[in-house]
Amino acid sequence: MSAFTIARFMANKSGTIQGLLKSPAVPLTLCRRCLALWGFNKPDEWKKTVMDAEKLVGYSTSLLSLRCIFSDELANVAMQVGKLVGTKHPLLHTARTFIWDDKQGPQTRGLIILLLSKAAGPSNHPDKMPDFDREMVCGIYQSQRNLAEIAEMIYAANLIHKGVVNLAEVKPADGMMKDMEFGNKMSVLSGDFFLANASTALADLENTKVVEIIASAIGDLMQAEFTGLTDKSGCPVLKTTTTMDNWYEQTFLSAGSLVAKSCKAAMELAKHSQDVQEKAFNFGKYLTFARQLNEDLQPYISEDGGSAPFNPTSAPSVLYAMGGDQDRVDFLNNCAKTTSGKMQALKLISKSKALEETKRLCREHGQKAVEAIKDFPISDTRTVLQKMAQVTTNV
Amino acid sequence: MASRVCLKCRCTQILPSFKRNLATGYLQSGQFCTFLLGFNRRHIQWSTRNNAVVNQGLPVFSKNVGAMKKDQHRQSFSHQTRSYSSSQHIPHIPEQLPSDVDPLKLVEKEVSLLTDDIRKELYNSAGSGDILEPAQYHFDGKGKSLRPMVVLLAAKACNIHEGINSILPSQQKIGMVAEMIHTASLVHDDVIDASDTRRGKPSVFKLWGQRKAILTGDFILSVSSQVLARIGNKEVVGVMSLILDDLVRGEFMQLGSKEDEEKRFNHYLKKTYKKTASLIANSCKSVAILSNCSDEIVEVLYNYGKHAGIAFQLIDDLLDFISNEELLGKPAAADLKLGLATAPVLFASQQYPELHAMIMRRFNEPGDVEKAWQLVNKSDGLEHTRSMARQHCKEAVFQINKLKDSVERRGLVAVTEKILSRQK
Repeated sequence: MSAFTIARFMANKSGTIQGLLKSPAVPLTLCRRCLALWGFNKPDEWKKTVMDAEKLVGYSTSLLSLRCIFSDELANVAMQVGKLVGTKHPLLHTARTFIWDDKQGPQTRGLIILLLSKAAGPSNHPDKMPDFDREMVCGIYQSQRNLAEIAEMIYAANLIHKGVVNLAEVKPADGMMKDMEFGNKMSVLSGDFFLANASTALADLENTKVVEIIASAIGDLMQAEFTGLTDKSGCPVLKTTTTMDNWYEQTFLSAGSLVAKSCKAAMELAKHSQDVQEKAFNFGKYLTFARQLNEDLQPYISEDGGSAPFNPTSAPSVLYAMGGDQDRVDFLNNCAKTTSGKMQALKLISKSKALEETKRLCREHGQKAVEAIKDFPISDTRTVLQKMAQVTTNV
Repeated sequence: MASRVCLKCRCTQILPSFKRNLATGYLQSGQFCTFLLGFNRRHIQWSTRNNAVVNQGLPVFSKNVGAMKKDQHRQSFSHQTRSYSSSQHIPHIPEQLPSDVDPLKLVEKEVSLLTDDIRKELYNSAGSGDILEPAQYHFDGKGKSLRPMVVLLAAKACNIHEGINSILPSQQKIGMVAEMIHTASLVHDDVIDASDTRRGKPSVFKLWGQRKAILTGDFILSVSSQVLARIGNKEVVGVMSLILDDLVRGEFMQLGSKEDEEKRFNHYLKKTYKKTASLIANSCKSVAILSNCSDEIVEVLYNYGKHAGIAFQLIDDLLDFISNEELLGKPAAADLKLGLATAPVLFASQQYPELHAMIMRRFNEPGDVEKAWQLVNKSDGLEHTRSMARQHCKEAVFQINKLKDSVERRGLVAVTEKILSRQK
């Protein structure tokens, strides 16, 4: 029933949402992974790597747990999201990214966890693992597959909850207050639903260490929204005191922690040693740094500067501001507001040393990721993981 | 001998509108007698089989039987088994004299330590981050602390039953987790219900905005999960994780209203279990598991928490109609204004059928709230609600009296009296 409901929702509503958000008219069957992934300048190269990687883990990694998507509760939400069409509530956009794929699509998080699980190999202490988890499929334990799904669910929950709107700041152009309130309600409930599902799934893994590691990753995601780098509604803001340390902290809390800690937890599930757990953690961490640096560089590489507004807390901007005064910081913050400001900022930073420095850091972290797993057994899987890191550093 | 008898207690007091299932000859699931559905205070007619159970206030929830896959052995003591077996299960409950123990006094020190511990845990996770202030905002020691109190009393009572003399650190942690889950859910609920005040001060979202309030709630949950995980007991993690699942499903149940009048009451009771009782029941169950109680005692604690929790919510729903804003710390008739039909309204709708239409449209037409408020106060819906709560308290007392006597056990009995007598 619910599967039917959501299918009907997708058939009916997607057309409307699509039209309103001026999305490319991609047929639903073709839409997965058609859009650029992580905004790479050589999308084919990245796409090929991901496809190779998916072959290694046995099946195409799904966006989210289907069990969740096809639940009565989310079908209920899906039916209601239609009411938000015509408003600017972020839930509408988030829902769209679940149906189509966005460039920050969640699927690679799960994929990295699965690949790393496979690369680390079978457990040395299978006797310490729970009874239900003794067999590997495609070189990956069931618990590790579940963990990959859990990480996706947590990411989805966070994406949805970050889209809750402060009603005091709603402008008439955003939509009717009643609708915005309703959108918030749906966001809170569906995010909570993903979190609750993630927590029961975590408990089913029967490993309290893993519960602790993943719970702390959830805490990190929340803390990322309370650092000095964002304002009340989550928009990036630069300060005179901001340094690259803040950038690293922000990137770790908002993205790296979930990947790194999930990688570590996947090793714990197979009872790999502390040392291996640490290496997995570092791989996840450095890969995220490299990918974020790559992402931050995209506006400078692509010809039109991309469609997103200028981000004053992106790495090149932070590096540029670090050499300057209050005026420079104000200037960069203002550039985020207009398209002309954005072009001006991109031009200035391109001429400075900041851009070269960002590229150097990107290569450095990619290299660190490659080295983190150099002691893992030689396998196709390890090669693919290292290739993912290297492709990221092609800047 | 298929006939129109209640599926659970076999009595014949059935609403005329209930039809038999043509295939089985019995009533359909969920169609219990008027007593179990709460429409009547006592059984008038006893079935010839005479195995009715007086204190069965509540239909079995499929979730409790089905969802706890790993605890199926614990379910062998469930409700249903008891109601069908022989007459020895008819509980004899002597009229309780008011207890002379003050439950909060018994664990006052532990409860205040617990609040400090929660603040410390939040500090350890947040460090000097800006999230610390909203996260600690509601842990100011000014709440009712009902949940930690019940959990700690249950822990001590179980331990004495097992011959241990103090509260274990792991049980103290369950108290913390229960209070943190409760607080996180309050922060989220306030955003959903747009409720400006909580416990006599502005809600979190009033001070930090909706967006940060939601993220703060998630943060408190993540810290509570870490506290829980550090206890290191897989079974307890499983039991406690059901709470979150119930909370969110209960919230979803609250969104819809059932068209079918008979189903509506079941829907309401199920929602009440999920939104309120599950937290208390599963926390009590967890402390019993931690003190190494037998499966039977673990089940006793679960049932105590379940019935006490449902009674608590019934009284809460009742107070919404009689208490005023200053006393309750929240506006009166808040539930009606949110479009929610709680027990008093559902009972009143038996007397005043015009309420049905208002329930279906969620009291959203002008004048609905006032009209419904008047009808409820005119009906005996409030009295029915109170007597239903009393039944649940009796069952909770019957359950907890299976433990060895201790001052804490009497404290748990006193908690049920407090639940019934509270004015705010």
